[in-house]
Amino acid sequence: MAGVESPERREHLFKVLVIGDLGVGKTSIIKRYVHQLFSQHYRATIGVDFALKVIHWDRRTLVRLQLWDIAGQERFGNMTRVYYKEALGAFVVFDVSRSSTFEAVSKWKHDLDSKVHLPNGGPIPAILLANKCDQNKETSRQTHSHLDQFCKESGFVGWFETSAKDNINIDEAARSLVEHILSNYKSFHAEENDVGTVKLDQAALQAESKSQCC
Amino acid sequence: MAEKLPSEFDVVILGTGLPEAIIAAACSRIGQRVLHIDVKNYYGGNWASFTFSGLLSWLEEYKQQPNLPEESTAWKDLLDKSEECLLLNRKDKTIQNIEVFCYVSQDSENNIEEVGALRKNPAFVTYGDSTDAQDSAEEPPCQEIHSLDTSGSEISSHPNNNTDPDTTVETGVPDVKLEMQTQSDVTSSSTPPLDTSEGDNVKLSTEETLAQKSAKRKITYSSIVKEGRKFNIDLVSKFLYSRGSLIDLLIKSNVSRYAEFKNVTRILTFQNGKVEQVPCSRADVFASKQLTMVEKRMLMKFLTFCLDYEQKAEEYQDYKDCAFSEYLKTKKLTPSLQHFILHAIAMVSETASTIDGLRATQHFLQSLGRYGNTPFLFPLYGLGEIPQCFCRMCAVFGGIYCLRHSVQCLVVDKESSRCKAVIDSLGQRITCSYFIVEDSYLSEETCNNVCYRQISRAVLITDRSVLKSDSDQQVSILTVPPMELGEPTVSVIELCSSTMTCKRDTYLVHLTCVSARTAKEDLEPVVQKLFMPYAETEIESEQENELEKPQIFWALYFNMRDSTGIDRSSYEGLPSNVYVCSGPDPHLGNEHAVKQVSRVHFNQLFPKEEFCPPAPNPEDIVYDVDDTQLQDAGFTSSSEIKAEAAAAEQSVGKALMAETLQPKLGKVKMARPVLGKVKMARPMLGKVESKSKDQICTLLST
Repeated sequence: MAGVESPERREHLFKVLVIGDLGVGKTSIIKRYVHQLFSQHYRATIGVDFALKVIHWDRRTLVRLQLWDIAGQERFGNMTRVYYKEALGAFVVFDVSRSSTFEAVSKWKHDLDSKVHLPNGGPIPAILLANKCDQNKETSRQTHSHLDQFCKESGFVGWFETSAKDNINIDEAARSLVEHILSNYKSFHAEENDVGTVKLDQAALQAESKSQCC
Repeated sequence: MAEKLPSEFDVVILGTGLPEAIIAAACSRIGQRVLHIDVKNYYGGNWASFTFSGLLSWLEEYKQQPNLPEESTAWKDLLDKSEECLLLNRKDKTIQNIEVFCYVSQDSENNIEEVGALRKNPAFVTYGDSTDAQDSAEEPPCQEIHSLDTSGSEISSHPNNNTDPDTTVETGVPDVKLEMQTQSDVTSSSTPPLDTSEGDNVKLSTEETLAQKSAKRKITYSSIVKEGRKFNIDLVSKFLYSRGSLIDLLIKSNVSRYAEFKNVTRILTFQNGKVEQVPCSRADVFASKQLTMVEKRMLMKFLTFCLDYEQKAEEYQDYKDCAFSEYLKTKKLTPSLQHFILHAIAMVSETASTIDGLRATQHFLQSLGRYGNTPFLFPLYGLGEIPQCFCRMCAVFGGIYCLRHSVQCLVVDKESSRCKAVIDSLGQRITCSYFIVEDSYLSEETCNNVCYRQISRAVLITDRSVLKSDSDQQVSILTVPPMELGEPTVSVIELCSSTMTCKRDTYLVHLTCVSARTAKEDLEPVVQKLFMPYAETEIESEQENELEKPQIFWALYFNMRDSTGIDRSSYEGLPSNVYVCSGPDPHLGNEHAVKQVSRVHFNQLFPKEEFCPPAPNPEDIVYDVDDTQLQDAGFTSSSEIKAEAAAAEQSVGKALMAETLQPKLGKVKMARPVLGKVKMARPMLGKVESKSKDQICTLLST
């Protein structure tokens, strides 16, 4: 969606949502991925809309990933449209040690698909994260094929077993999602329709106050 | 999801309209524990905006008695001897006289639905009639003109009314519409969709496909329903003054990061049966072909005077007590200019005083040129976005949200006459220090002495603009003065598809006035002057003038209660720590909503606190390991998580605010873009900044 073309380099800014039930480790995943931090101590996410990860994708591409946490407070399932608006990809997270969080995955995916879509009308790419895999001794083959099947049926582009604690598969999952976003981007970026939209911000305001005379 | 709410808050807010959303954000921002709930399953109350199917569901809701969730009465046991209860209203009575008219045919299509994604196989979508049997998206095809009122007459003959609010408002699934240009490339447009598992009605005849290709502007009811998600239809129609209090608040609080706007491009006026554009910037005035050279000078002179009229008291001293319209007559202005100034610039009534007229003209002029050629902005996706932006801010700072949830009664301490708790719709007792409530939730007993006014509203979907121009993407406001004395002045807002409120090749028109009678009685004369009903067969060219009028595909009229301007003392028996927010007012701007909560409510609640200080930029927030060790709540034990997380939010929330909310600037700067070209002081939603700076300011005062 936002790409700035220079003769050689491209820069992208992608909004990615991280959704899932309370306590599945959404914030931990983001902190691990963006800040290389992990803490056992749980804290509801306060005051933060998103975390930003800058990826030097290849020599010609820079990707800035905005990871939007749901405010833990929206956990009663009533997300504002503001949250979903213009997202290009999503992680849906569940906790492998709590089956109820897996049961909620379909609901989250449905909510996601109903509130946001790509410019061509299709669903945005979503990856399922089976988090806290460090707590499950091993995943059976059966679980694997079950999840493969589930992703197919629910329209996920893939799934990863992750652990924010042990830093397992988080970079890989993000990489996979960005690949999907980039391939979508190539097919529809020409359809941008933001000509003449106005953003209000304080930087512009300051500039304005200097140049204004009334 | 069906968790219990925490049982203790500082502030409980009922209703998610603009004033409630602003106060919620303001309270949460200063560390108050906020519970924000709404009995509806959508945000915004009467400030909401809806997709087309969402709007139809909303209409259904008023037609039928909404199925309110069973409310437990066990709460009576929760009351102490020293407490009494104050019951709240259970039925919304703010909308009346709903009438719907559909002028486009839909005979050939019986089972129209909003187009949805293929849920099971998102592989490919094609333009065409791939109608998922999406249970939630069915829309009533009205075969003829129907009208309904809240007493329950029919809106349509639709057999399958879905009343589950969970699935009706946002019907779930992405559009499959491809852009027109690419349509021809999709060779499969006449082949059945890949996934037929859900589409039992996919019968796409070749003739239909051909017809679609040849007459690409042909609009049917089914095409409106299918692309229903392209519509965002506001219940209230307002603009934001570029220098109004809402814009200032959005910027000051950083809530603006959640919204984007379109410039309103034209101010129109209706004079001698014709729609004309009003020149209002210096550039417009001089480019205008309607005005003579002499008129241009007169207009410029007068507007320049209005900009700082206070300094030139001698100019209007003698007319202070006269009507502004009378005063204009003394200013050597031609009748046409007087009309422009009175109706399109000041937008005041014939009887408004000179001072009010001058003040309104000044407000208009001051807002001019900040972002564009007119003084107004309109939010992308509709005004209904704005309350949600404030709700998001509240949630980000710890506010808890729960829709389809209400309060049955307030628990009032007999001795202090203060509200100490509320009983929610599930019968749970929730203590709070303050209760803020939107007027419509108050019971009849409480509002016995309250006298409400009404707003008349109409919403039209039309095929072209009321005033043709080079661009089909215009956002216009037209003020239609009363045709006869005593009739209301009608404000007409016309939105184009790039505002993201209507589908391509259509316009969304909002009419608003202070009610004299029912909405239809008030507004239909204006609708008839400006528009004509859609005619299936093209009218021949002999009636060329008539063809200039936009045609109406679909129309809705309703009255909305105006609960502004009610003195607090009119409410009976309200505890002193209960604050009432009003619903929308009929005026164009949002000044009332902002002032009510910032100057009145917030000041009374927290006189020493700052109102909506700027939220830190996400980029500037640095996570420290130390920070995260400040508290120790359960991370692993699943059963404890809910309770502890909630507790942690609340007990530690405030202590943490100081710690986390001060952005630790400069410690570890997040990697900024190295590429020189992109300026992204606030990287938002993937949009590249700097557009507003390209807006050329054509200030009158320069």
